[in-house]
Amino acid sequence: MNSIKTLMFSFLWFFGALASHGFETLATEQRLNGELMHSAVGKAQQALQLCSAVCYEGRNEIGYATVVSEDGYLLGKWSELRERKNLMLRIGHEKYETVQFLQQDPVWDVVLLKVDAVHLQPVVFASTSNVGIGTWVVANGVTTRAKRRPMVGIISAQTRKIPLEGGAVLGVELLEKKGALIVGQIAEKSGAFRAGLREGDRLVSVMGKDLKKREDLLDLMKDREVGEKVVIVFDRQGKTQKSEVILQSRTETFGLEKNRNDEMSGEFSQRRSGFPRVLQHDVYGSSRTIGGPLLDLEGKCLGMNIARANRAESFAIPLEEMRGLVQKLKQQSQGL
Amino acid sequence: MNSLISLLSLATIVMGFAQEPHRLAFNDKKAPTDESDLRMISDALKRALPQAQKATVCLELQQGSGSGVIVSADGLILTAAHVSGGVGRNMTVILADGRKVSCVSLGLSSESDCAMAQITQKGEYPFVEIDFDDRSKLGDWVFSLGHSGGYDAARGAGVRIGRLAKRADTTLQSDCTLIGGDSGGPLFDMSGRLIGIHSRVGQNLQRNMHVPISEYLRHWDEMKDSQFIGDGPFATRPVKGSGFLGIGTEDRSEGGVKIIQIGRESPAESAGIRVGDVLKQIDELVIQDKKSMQAYLKEKTAGEMIRVILYRGAQEISLNIRLAEQSS
Repeated sequence: MNSIKTLMFSFLWFFGALASHGFETLATEQRLNGELMHSAVGKAQQALQLCSAVCYEGRNEIGYATVVSEDGYLLGKWSELRERKNLMLRIGHEKYETVQFLQQDPVWDVVLLKVDAVHLQPVVFASTSNVGIGTWVVANGVTTRAKRRPMVGIISAQTRKIPLEGGAVLGVELLEKKGALIVGQIAEKSGAFRAGLREGDRLVSVMGKDLKKREDLLDLMKDREVGEKVVIVFDRQGKTQKSEVILQSRTETFGLEKNRNDEMSGEFSQRRSGFPRVLQHDVYGSSRTIGGPLLDLEGKCLGMNIARANRAESFAIPLEEMRGLVQKLKQQSQGL
Repeated sequence: MNSLISLLSLATIVMGFAQEPHRLAFNDKKAPTDESDLRMISDALKRALPQAQKATVCLELQQGSGSGVIVSADGLILTAAHVSGGVGRNMTVILADGRKVSCVSLGLSSESDCAMAQITQKGEYPFVEIDFDDRSKLGDWVFSLGHSGGYDAARGAGVRIGRLAKRADTTLQSDCTLIGGDSGGPLFDMSGRLIGIHSRVGQNLQRNMHVPISEYLRHWDEMKDSQFIGDGPFATRPVKGSGFLGIGTEDRSEGGVKIIQIGRESPAESAGIRVGDVLKQIDELVIQDKKSMQAYLKEKTAGEMIRVILYRGAQEISLNIRLAEQSS
């Protein structure tokens, strides 16, 4: 997340209740995300109810999606939804059991979804996402079957690029054997595996460059971005094959080695870096509250929540980029 | 006796009322009821934020990084004891604009997690006002700042909002989520007055603990005087013999000891001691030989101040030196 130091003064864990005597305690309903706040953010709650979709895998709530058109287009978080079986959406009170995955953008980690609907209420965009640090924002919290629960917070830091942690990878272990590169272990969640590469294959070339040693590949991968597509040529039992790999982040491919800050962050998003520009806010959440809209007090859309980074930081795609993505992905899905 | 108590509490109430006009109205509301209530809170926050951000710093020590806040123009910093970790430690302060200045830790209270440090480079630093009168109340709206995960120029110190959810003598709890690197950072009321310093968290996002400013005020003089207060758990009292001066000496027949070596970047070097100087006295001890001097220094701990009298030729020099930590 930053290059200066990975070691930090972690807080001591505070277990157990504070001593009950001598303590004044605020009623739960009065706290930042207590029941009483809901009436103050009524417009945003109403908007969440209509223009955010709850994503279910079976009975499990796995995240949210954002309604972007009347006729059933939505945006969701690609890396969270791509492997799900029997994805089901709930928009308003309606259930949608058939969800099409139309087109994805691996850089922003978003996917364009489509359900069969005609009168949805899409998000209404605010005039700008540049509302300033300290501005109230509202996002989806844990939901009940019928009702969206609004969670509040503020824009909490400068809007900026989040550099990729760990770099972009193919996701394979390569063994040097007699001047050839043979695929050893391969991560099942890797771009290479998804592209059809398997253990024992001989990797012939990547991006048109013939490979002899492992360093050849490392050199090639050094300046690659997540979401970039690279052509690989490999040999399986004498047969040469060609495929296209979408590069992924090291963390979503191999999982993350958690540091102390990750340990205190609950369920955070596996893909939480490598975004060209994000709004940062402090709304409470987890990897399961991502994918829905980030709203202002009027219920207007400032962006789409794309990552729960850690205990104190959540990221949203600013509305300007979000609009562009909707347009681009729609065109691509229509083959334009 | 009884009447005295009631008199005192009455006085408190009267004072309490006298302070009411200074309180922001939204703090006395049970909860915001509409958007305009919420906007008053964020408007206040936005007014207070620029100065609060300028005064919030990142502290870098050998062991890692934490946060702190400047409370005077000459660079006095409040932070957490588990960040400074001890007395007399050198650290680097990264100011909000990225400028780096050197700093030394002063005293701390190891029982309540408060600590002080002083920027050693002369200058005019941006600072925040302390809530000396301890005016914050349960339920007040507050915001926290800190360099979560270390200094990040593109991000700045992250802001988090919340309410004061619990109050006790040595702990405040708020809704402002904290994470590693925020340790030692400031908690403000919505007028931008400093009311606490980040200390610890629970697994639940709502459990964020701060040391109240009253605890700093209680130990203010001792901490400014570089004292190590209490016996943990937030900092480990240095053991005797941990103090490090950084000189090599040899005995002289005429008394005192001759300096034959100076450790690089040692307190002795920083204080200006030179090879060839003759050490005559440390504190009250008139030095007879190397052995007696070493025995005396062995009782000293890291962070302690000693006064050294030495001769450079015919010139008598008196120096106050803070002992560093003996590296193991």
